[in-house]
Amino acid sequence: MHRMERIWKELGMAVLIGSILLLGGCGTKEAAREKGKVFHYGTMAYGPAMQNAGLDPHDSYCGWSAVRYGVGETLFKFDQNMHVQPWVAESYKQMDDYTLEIRIRDTVTFSNGKPVTGEAVKKCLEDLMKRHDRAPHDLKIDRITAEGQKVTIHSKEKVPALINYLADPYGAIIDVDAGIKNRIAVGTGPYVAVHVDDKGIELKKNEKYWGEVKPKLDRIVVRSITDGDTLAMAMQSGELDAVQGLPYESLKNFSDASKYRISSCATSRVYQAAMNFKTPVLQDNRVRQAIVMAIDKQQFVHVLLNDNGEAAVGAFPVHTDFGKGLHVPSYDLEGARKLLAEAGYTEKDADGYVMKNGQPLSLRWLTYTSRQELPLLAEYAQSQLKKIGIKLNVNATDNYKDFLKRGEYDIYAQAMVTAPTGDPEYYLMSKIASGQPYNNGYYTNSRVDQLISQLHNTFDRSERNRLAIEIQQQVLDDNAVLYVSFLRMSFVMKKNVTGFAAHPSDYYEITPELDL
Amino acid sequence: MVRRYILQRLLHLLVILFGATFLSFALMHTVSTDTVDVLYTLNGNANAAVAAAKRASLGLDRTFLVQYGDWLWRILHGDMGNSFVSGEPVLTTILQKLPATMELMVLALLMTILAALPLGILAALHRDRFWDQAVRIFSFLGNAMPDFFTALLLLYLFAVHWHLFSFLDASRLPVLPALTLSIAMTAKSIRQVRAVFLDELSKTYVQAALVRGLPVNTVLLHYVLRSVLAPLLALLGVSAGSLLGGAAIVESIFLWDGIGKLAVDAILLRDYPVIQAYVIWMCVIYVGVNLLMDLLSAFLDPRVAERGSDQ
Amino acid sequence: MISSRKRRFQSCLVLVVLLLLSCLCWQWLVPFDPYAQDLGKALRPPDGVHLFGTDRYGRDLFSRVLAGGQLTVFSALAVVLTASVTGSLIGLICGYRPGKTATLLLRLADVFLAFPSMVFAIAVAGILGGGTFNAGIAIVLVAWPKYTRLACSTVLPLRHEPFIEAARMSGCTDGQILFQQILPLAVGPLAVTAALDVGTVIAELAGLSFLGLGTAPPAAEWGSMMSGSRNLLQSAPWTVLAPGLGIFLTVAVCQLFADALRDYVDEKG
Repeated sequence: MHRMERIWKELGMAVLIGSILLLGGCGTKEAAREKGKVFHYGTMAYGPAMQNAGLDPHDSYCGWSAVRYGVGETLFKFDQNMHVQPWVAESYKQMDDYTLEIRIRDTVTFSNGKPVTGEAVKKCLEDLMKRHDRAPHDLKIDRITAEGQKVTIHSKEKVPALINYLADPYGAIIDVDAGIKNRIAVGTGPYVAVHVDDKGIELKKNEKYWGEVKPKLDRIVVRSITDGDTLAMAMQSGELDAVQGLPYESLKNFSDASKYRISSCATSRVYQAAMNFKTPVLQDNRVRQAIVMAIDKQQFVHVLLNDNGEAAVGAFPVHTDFGKGLHVPSYDLEGARKLLAEAGYTEKDADGYVMKNGQPLSLRWLTYTSRQELPLLAEYAQSQLKKIGIKLNVNATDNYKDFLKRGEYDIYAQAMVTAPTGDPEYYLMSKIASGQPYNNGYYTNSRVDQLISQLHNTFDRSERNRLAIEIQQQVLDDNAVLYVSFLRMSFVMKKNVTGFAAHPSDYYEITPELDL
Repeated sequence: MVRRYILQRLLHLLVILFGATFLSFALMHTVSTDTVDVLYTLNGNANAAVAAAKRASLGLDRTFLVQYGDWLWRILHGDMGNSFVSGEPVLTTILQKLPATMELMVLALLMTILAALPLGILAALHRDRFWDQAVRIFSFLGNAMPDFFTALLLLYLFAVHWHLFSFLDASRLPVLPALTLSIAMTAKSIRQVRAVFLDELSKTYVQAALVRGLPVNTVLLHYVLRSVLAPLLALLGVSAGSLLGGAAIVESIFLWDGIGKLAVDAILLRDYPVIQAYVIWMCVIYVGVNLLMDLLSAFLDPRVAERGSDQ
Repeated sequence: MISSRKRRFQSCLVLVVLLLLSCLCWQWLVPFDPYAQDLGKALRPPDGVHLFGTDRYGRDLFSRVLAGGQLTVFSALAVVLTASVTGSLIGLICGYRPGKTATLLLRLADVFLAFPSMVFAIAVAGILGGGTFNAGIAIVLVAWPKYTRLACSTVLPLRHEPFIEAARMSGCTDGQILFQQILPLAVGPLAVTAALDVGTVIAELAGLSFLGLGTAPPAAEWGSMMSGSRNLLQSAPWTVLAPGLGIFLTVAVCQLFADALRDYVDEKG
């Protein structure tokens, strides 16, 4: 027996050593140093699941990739305050309510050297209208005419936010004649795609870039990494130069300022909870207000989001022109309890939940988990509402659309970008106006509806902003939607990376300024 | 005899595949949201008219049986449909990603065999003594650690701590993901290997051989190993199933571009054609692997085939 | 020898009972309310007051692990029981009464058996949506045929044994024969398989939680606690390890019990 044991022990050791060797062998990295400046970038935001795996802006969300990774540029762009600025366009003139005239810069060329003319832009926009699923409904273009560097857009109906929509990534200007080859479009940006697939993009410098600031990197490798922990560890291992979309908890691992830099910025992605007006108990404004008053937005942002967010007041961030000057009831548990008592919830059951006519106050909170903040908010709200005697049953499911369809919820919490194009109309139109399919709270207020239709027909910026604020204040007075916080997005990069900064629009990542 | 056995098993395979297709198709239709709902609300934008048009173009407005019949007919012609999301033919996508998953599976199976066999034998020979207990504790640990936890732990150690793993170099062997899978697998099979060997070692012929003074290793390698081969092969076949399932999780974490990752993405997007194709392909592979294992044991030990065709 | 195996079986049984009791009576064992949040105390490392530390809501992890045991262990038990009882009954009947129906049922079992279990669970949970219940159903659907096969193959050779024939002659009904004569003989291997399955099911439920298809976040369930805190693995490892310890202990107890049960049954047989 003895010899046998020894042999098996030796065999076990051999297996152990063998596997260690195997692991070591696989670990030897590509030793050859790459020539020139190469930037390795890991992102959570690219891939088939995001419907943006490609660079053809006229295909679902691929325009986002084209603009983010420096291949495509739109006629107009947003500055840090989400104001529209010319980009490929030089200027624009609103001729009348239905006609917009755009002048294209003389100097802009596609990466293949062809100049960007009015005719090229016309062709591009026509292709966009023909192939894209959302653009025709936003832009409502009747016809386009081109002459020299001038493009004139004739609209079917009034579209006051037309230039904002043209700044949406789907409006990236590409050379339609060059066609789309292997998901690569010919754009005007500082970098040119070499290879595109589901896993990522490889870019090289656009030697003929038209802008004053020339691109500085020779090669960029964009890699899709959809698991947060993997992304964090890939950055920690030193293989990546920068990453986008890390989970909040992982940001702590990059606090060493001698090695990393973090650039972050508030976006208009809001975490909101819509009250369902079909729920009888929620038809009492006092109950809705009590719920609003029970949530401590500051604490939620500070502790649970690690300050990676901004407490919200209305639907749009306070720093935007249409998010200022709003007011909501402040966090006040005692006040909330009083309101509930006024509403007739005077008794309490054995578990401490308030009751009216022997019925405990219990609500269903519907949300989903694919956004990491939403389950956090649900659990936090559950515990806060318990403090004022409301029982919250959380239903956090990625099948939430089934429940929405069947109306099985009292409060629906979701995340959404409220002003993707720097304009308030889209959000108010689809989420707040009566009878809209995405007005999940079935909120209706004739004054709000009237103001929204007024907004739809107003071209003057400051008047639009004023209307948007008035609408939001009415929604807040009705306590129809609880706006909790805005997302703060962050880029983590190695210390030697420069010219890489988060932008509130979430559209611009790789720019000519980027350098190592 | 063996040929009849093979024919019988192939027929069996057809029945199973038919059931599997029906089941996977029926499941998709038990929910009230469809792909279009998912597709057009993912990023917040939607329009009822666009959604209805898309629904019609995907054929989602027809009755269940019509959709199923149509789908099966096309599958029989090698057309598994196009992905609702990417628009690419599903078959092409799957065939592209299949080799990566197979590579991972084969490596994981190999590592499992290399670890479970010696460790299991060791535990059997040392029944209730130190090595047996050590192996037992390893088996508890391996069974208790969810795949994703093992994966993250290994990733942390090898990538961040020891810098032995490259995220970007795609030409590497999938050693870490395979190791993750094989840890769980080894933990499960090690106990069975031990049991099989204990059983065999207690048989009279082994005892007799040992008493007659045959070298223990000769007995072990020539007689015992051969007679336990059939149950071990069957065990491996069954483990292939949990390997395939675990691959979905592990591939996502290690960025291994295989079928598992494809399926996880497809489920998130309710990309029916891809999910269905995934389920069918996994069944084919699983049943295929088991068939192969059966045939292998029938080849090694013809008695198996005789027993098999009686059933 | 005999008494030592019996003793081992008994002590393992005691462990199982202790585990179940602690899962049942967590209300009296927890030092803190497992659901009470105190954001001021978030992510405290383990110390004398909070044995396992606190999670990101400032909840006591020791209390949460105890409370989570109920949902985790009992949902796993429910899954295993449903699968094993249904599967075994079908198997017993198929083995005892072979025929067209039995063949059909066995083929059905084969169809389900042909699905790699996690693959099918992922598909089902992905389609029906997540949640403890759906994830459980998904696992039951792929777990039962195993028992059917096992029960069937145990019963098939027994059918013509003299003592069964004798029972039949003496006027016993099929039900009586099945449950009084045959079931006791088949129950050993079935019970061992079931005991081993408990750990596997817990790990599978955890895997589904990782994919967002398992228990939804607010509930305390070990697998979802682990996957929910995995981002904290580096900065607050106790949040992941605490529920992991729960899973480890449960799996260990179940396997020890299964081993002891197998030895005990072997010896009786």
